[in-house]
Amino acid sequence: MARVPGPGGRVTRRFKNGPDRPMQRSQRRANRAIFFTIAAGFVMLAVAAWAVVWAFERSQDYSQLVSHTIEVEAAVADLNRLDERIEAARRGYLLEGDPRFLETFETTASAIPVQIQRITDLTADNPDQVARVGRFRELTDRYLSLLRESIADKQAGGRGIRGASLLDEENIAIVQELRTLSDEMSLAERRLLISREAERRGSVQLSTIVASVAALLFLLVAAGTIWATRRTLRALAETGTQLQVLNEDLESAVQERTAELQRANAEIQRFAYIVSHDLRSPLVNVMGFTAELAAAIKPLSELVDSVEERQADLVTEEMKYAVREDLPEAIGFIRTSTEKMDRLINAILRLSREGRRVLAPEAVDMNALAEGIVDSLQHRIDELGVTVEAEPLPTVVTDRLAVEQILSNLVENALKYLKTDRPGRVAIRGRKHAGRVLYEVQDNGRGIDPRDHERIFDLFRRSGTQDQPGEGIGLAHVRALAYRLGGTISCESALGEGATFRLSLPMALARQQGSET
Amino acid sequence: MSTHQTVNIVMIEDDEGHARLIEKNIRRAGVNNAIRHFLEGTAALQYLFDAPDGPARNGPALVLLDLNLPDMSGIDILQKMKAPDSPLKRTPVVVLTTTDDKVEIERCYDLGANVYITKPVNYETFAQAIRQLGLFLSVIQVPDPEAD
Repeated sequence: MARVPGPGGRVTRRFKNGPDRPMQRSQRRANRAIFFTIAAGFVMLAVAAWAVVWAFERSQDYSQLVSHTIEVEAAVADLNRLDERIEAARRGYLLEGDPRFLETFETTASAIPVQIQRITDLTADNPDQVARVGRFRELTDRYLSLLRESIADKQAGGRGIRGASLLDEENIAIVQELRTLSDEMSLAERRLLISREAERRGSVQLSTIVASVAALLFLLVAAGTIWATRRTLRALAETGTQLQVLNEDLESAVQERTAELQRANAEIQRFAYIVSHDLRSPLVNVMGFTAELAAAIKPLSELVDSVEERQADLVTEEMKYAVREDLPEAIGFIRTSTEKMDRLINAILRLSREGRRVLAPEAVDMNALAEGIVDSLQHRIDELGVTVEAEPLPTVVTDRLAVEQILSNLVENALKYLKTDRPGRVAIRGRKHAGRVLYEVQDNGRGIDPRDHERIFDLFRRSGTQDQPGEGIGLAHVRALAYRLGGTISCESALGEGATFRLSLPMALARQQGSET
Repeated sequence: MSTHQTVNIVMIEDDEGHARLIEKNIRRAGVNNAIRHFLEGTAALQYLFDAPDGPARNGPALVLLDLNLPDMSGIDILQKMKAPDSPLKRTPVVVLTTTDDKVEIERCYDLGANVYITKPVNYETFAQAIRQLGLFLSVIQVPDPEAD
């Protein structure tokens, strides 16, 4: 019954290994792809935004340029008007001699350089225009000086008209050139504007295309991301469902397995019970009739004695030997063997009976329990001069009697197999670990050969020098109990270096259905 | 309470060796009453209830009962004997068996067993127990089946 494996191990391992490594890898790859796509989408969005801003700035530049052109054109037109006005004033003066014309002439003459300067300022960035303005200024200067000469001639009382008509030749040429120049300037500005507009339109178009493409890509990415996210979410939900199903399967598998184990265990218990029970009956006979035989030896040996006394020749040495030596010896061997067999049968019976007991889980104060065990063994502890240390132990919900039997068995063993050449030390420790409680009984005794670490838990098997009384039942019992409590027991030891027995129990033992009897 | 009638001892025991040892030790205790031995339940029941010289029809008796019988459980015999309408309900029954299960013992007493003895495996103890039982048998009063 002690060999039934624990229910936990295999299932946990299968779960941990997991059959789906490649699936995980492809999932990871898909996740990475989704991440990069989203990142690319945001880059696209940034590009589109930049393109829009750029196009906006471009159109702002253009409106500035348009107003600049209009300004230049207006300035040129103003200049033309001033030129015309000054010509009109001069002609008026020459014809009428009215000084009011002269006044107008002077005002206009002073306004013209200012206007020219303004145009120079406006077109400073354009070398062609600057050259034209320079030429314009020269011509204007010349023109103005010609006009002033004719006025001065008139004031000096000259003929004026002739002078005027003479001067008119050059005057007309200058005026014509001035007009051409101002037209050219206007035209140049306009052309500039047109070329700039074309340029701007091109760049705006480009940025529009860039923005559109980026927006389109962004939309695509967004759609793709939404699709991928939805797919991932769906897959996640599916995985969750699968996991739940698996979990339920696992639980039911564990339950099934536990039930199976319990059934198997109960079967073995029943078997052990029946066998040990039925073995007892013949044993009673063997022992009984052996005792009868032993009782029969007495009258028989008396007979031999008395016959030997009265008629010694009737008694052979063989007869005497048989009655006095052979018979008692044989009976002695039969007795010791049957007694041993009786002990073994009783041990099996006790084990099976223990296995049939209904466990009653309760919160067990392990410190008090350990103290009780140490107290009950105090006499032996003092006798052997052993130091027993019990560290604080965590409380556990389990069957008190069973855990007490386990612990006391372990402590008794620790005391039993000490090494005679050093003072004995036994430590009882406990801690919580990963949802379970671990209890350890450590000694510095003679230790156990690692080859025997499994064997010592088998029924009737022992390890090391057989110098201590016992049938090899204690640890088998301990293991059977540990299994029944849903726990495990293991041994860690090297020969001559003490041993540590580790009991691992669930934090809380579930209340169980009572087995029969 | 008839003292003139001898009390028959009915032993229902499937193991012949046990039966022999029990008989030997009872005799050693000085009990000389007749012992009827049955190896299985059916024959024993037949004798107890129906035989013309059986306890139900003829005279007081005392039953030594083993629980592990090949054809039935000793408990069935006990139950039949101790039933309310049974003529043998007052007949003392000594359960003498290897079973020392607490539940089984309780059940036997609940059904009306008068004494429950577990056969000790150790022969000296066994012999002593049976001899003491013999002493006990030599002094107890056994009612007649038709006493009421």
